[in-house]
Amino acid sequence: MNVIQALVSGLLVGAVYALMASGLTLVFGVMRVVNLAHGAFAILAAFLTWTLWSGLGLDPLASIPILSVVMFGVGWLAYVLIVRHVRNRHMSMTILATFGIALLLEGVMGFAWGNQSAAVRTAYTDSSVTIGPLYLPTVTLIAAAIAVVVLVSLKVLLDHTWAGRAIRASSVNESGALLVGVSVKAIAATTFGIGIATLGAGGAIIAATYPFIPGSHYQWIARLLAIAVLGGLGSLPGAVIGALIIGVGEQLATLWLGASWVVAVPFLVIFIVLLVRPQGILGQRLREDAVA
Amino acid sequence: MRKPISPRAALASVCAASVLLGATACAADAPESGEDGPITIGASLPLTGEFSQGGLDTQQGYEVWVELQNEGGGLLGRDVEILVKDDATNQNTVVTNYNTLVDQDGVDLLLGTQSSLLNIPASAVAERAGMLYVCPSCASPDMFNRGFEYIFFSQQATASTQAETFAEWVADLPADERPATAAYPSLDDPFASPVVEGVRETLEAAGIETVYADVYPATTKNFDAIVGAIRDSGAELVVQGAQFEDGVNFVRAMNRAGFAPELLYQSSSPTYGEQYLEGVGPENAQGVFFSSSYHVAAETEGNAEFVAKYDEMFGGLPPEDAADGFAAAQVVAAAVEAVGGYDDQAALADWLRSNSVETILGTLRWNEDGSPDGQFLVGQWQDGVSDVVLPADVATTDRILRWRGDAL
Repeated sequence: MNVIQALVSGLLVGAVYALMASGLTLVFGVMRVVNLAHGAFAILAAFLTWTLWSGLGLDPLASIPILSVVMFGVGWLAYVLIVRHVRNRHMSMTILATFGIALLLEGVMGFAWGNQSAAVRTAYTDSSVTIGPLYLPTVTLIAAAIAVVVLVSLKVLLDHTWAGRAIRASSVNESGALLVGVSVKAIAATTFGIGIATLGAGGAIIAATYPFIPGSHYQWIARLLAIAVLGGLGSLPGAVIGALIIGVGEQLATLWLGASWVVAVPFLVIFIVLLVRPQGILGQRLREDAVA
Repeated sequence: MRKPISPRAALASVCAASVLLGATACAADAPESGEDGPITIGASLPLTGEFSQGGLDTQQGYEVWVELQNEGGGLLGRDVEILVKDDATNQNTVVTNYNTLVDQDGVDLLLGTQSSLLNIPASAVAERAGMLYVCPSCASPDMFNRGFEYIFFSQQATASTQAETFAEWVADLPADERPATAAYPSLDDPFASPVVEGVRETLEAAGIETVYADVYPATTKNFDAIVGAIRDSGAELVVQGAQFEDGVNFVRAMNRAGFAPELLYQSSSPTYGEQYLEGVGPENAQGVFFSSSYHVAAETEGNAEFVAKYDEMFGGLPPEDAADGFAAAQVVAAAVEAVGGYDDQAALADWLRSNSVETILGTLRWNEDGSPDGQFLVGQWQDGVSDVVLPADVATTDRILRWRGDAL
C-alpha cells in the first residue's frame, strides 16, 4: 500500500511540477528562449498571492485569475523591455539576459517584501482527504486539479484558437507567418506573457503549499529545467510526462532507497533517457505538433 | 526563418545556465579607514539567496552592536564601522568577499558569515591572512578539525552537543513517559546533521530504538513520503535536523498525514520566532522543542541594552541570529580591548583561548581548537511564546509539554 500512496502522491506533485514547467517549455518551444527567470516569476507570483492573502484576506485560489492577468502583464513587459532585444542572438545571450531578469526580480522582491520567509496558511494547507488507507493532501489535490485545468486550457488555446495557431505558425516559420498576416512580434510578446501567466496559478499554489523567500527561485528553476529537458525542451506534453516522472520518481526513491536518493534517482532517469533520446522524451514532436 | 537549434546545443546552453546560477555577488563601497579614523570591521553575509533570512538577522545584530559601541565611546576610543558584503548564500562568493575585505578593503578586523556551509570556506581565507575570525553561526564540528588557530565560534556549543541537554532529559524521563522509539530525519547540512547524530547517539545508548534515520537534500520541498515512512515506523519521538523552510514543510506534512508523535524536536526552524508561528500555526508550534543560544529575557551582559536598541532600530524583539551576531561582535571587542590593539591578531586569538567573555548569550569560553565549551538552552513553544524549559535552573517555566498535547 505504501507504493500506491507514493505513486498517488508522486502524480499529484508531478501535476504541480507540470503546471510550473508548462510556461518554461512553451516559451522555449515558440521562441527558443531558455527563460532562467521562470522560477523568479513564480516566486513573484507567490509574493503577490501572499500580499493579497495577508492584506485583503483573499484566498490563494481565488487570487489566481487576478494573478494570471498581472503576471501576463509582467511577462509581456519583460519581453518588450529585455528579451526581444536578445531573442534572435545566440542562445547564450538569452540565458544571460533571463538570468539577469531573475537577479533583478530577486532584488526587487527583497526590497519590496524583505528577505524573510513568507508563508500562507489556509484551511486546506494542513488537511487531507482520506480514501481507505490512502491520504491525499488537500492542497496538493486542489493544486493538481488546477494544474489539469490550466494545462488543458493551454492546449486548447494552442490547438483551437487563432492566437494559438498564430503562435504555432510563428514558431515554425516566422517568414511564412508574416506572409499570411501574423504579427510575429506581437505574437512573441503574447507567448512570453502567456508563459508567465501560467505562473499566476503556479505561484498561488507555491504560496499555499510551501514557505518561500526571494531566493527560493533557484531551487525551482533547477527542478523545472530538469523536467523540461527530460520531456523534451519545447514540448508541452513532454513537460507533463517529464514532470510526472520526476514527481513519482522522487516519491518512490524516498520510499525504496531513502530521502538522500531523492535527487540522484530522478537525474539518473534523465541521464538514461537522454542517452537514448538526446532530444528528450517528446523533444521532436513539438515541431510536428506545431505544423499540424 | 531562424536556424533550428539542435538538442545538443540546447542542452549545452542549459548546462551553461546551471553554472551561471551559482555565481552572484554584490559588493558595497569600501569605507575610509586609517590610524585616526574609525576601526573598520568587515564581514560577508548571505543577504540574498537561501540563507538570507539568517543573514539579514545577523546583519541587524552587527549593526545594533556598532550603534551601541559607538554610543559608548567606540573601540579603543575610536568609532567603529562595519562593511558587510552579500555572498548570496554562495560558497565561492563568500571566499571572494573575504579575500576582497582583506586584500583590497584592508579592514582592521573580521566577523564571520552565517551558517557552517559558508563559514567553512570563509574561515580558510581568514586563517591564511592571519586574522581573527569569530563566527556567529558555525556550529558544525567540521569547522574545528582543521587545525586552524584564528577561528572561534561565539555560541555555547557545537552542533554535535547542541541538543545534548534535550537528549539527556529524554533519556532520564520515567519509563512510562519515555518514548521507546525515535526517528531522525535531517537536512543534508554540516550543521543540521551533527545535531541529530548527537541526540541519536545519546538516546540509543539509553535504549531508545531508532526506527528511522535518513538525510534529505536541501532541495526537498515535499515531505509526504518521508513523513509517511516515519509514521509507518511508529516513532514516538521525532528529532529533525532542520534549517527553516524544511522545518515548516515537515510539520505541515505531519498534519496532512495525521501523524502526531509524542515529542518533536527541531533544530533552527522554531527559533525563527513569528515566522515559524506563521508557517506552522501556533497550535502546531505548541510543544515543539528546540535548542537556543539566546532568550530575550536573559539577564546577561548588555542584553537589556541590546533588546532596547534593536527595538529602536528595527522594531520588535530580536531574533536569535541577531543576538548571535551581536555576541560575536562582543567577543571581538573584548579581545581587542583586553590586548589593547588589533595589529597582532595572533595575540587576540591567544587571549580568547585562555579567557572567557561575558556576552548577551551568557559567559562564553573556548577549547584550544576554537570550539565553545558550554551548554545550549532548550526552548519550547508554549501558547505562542518561546520559553526556556531546560536546564531547570535557567528555565522560564517549569511546565514541559508533549507536542500539541498536555504537560509531561
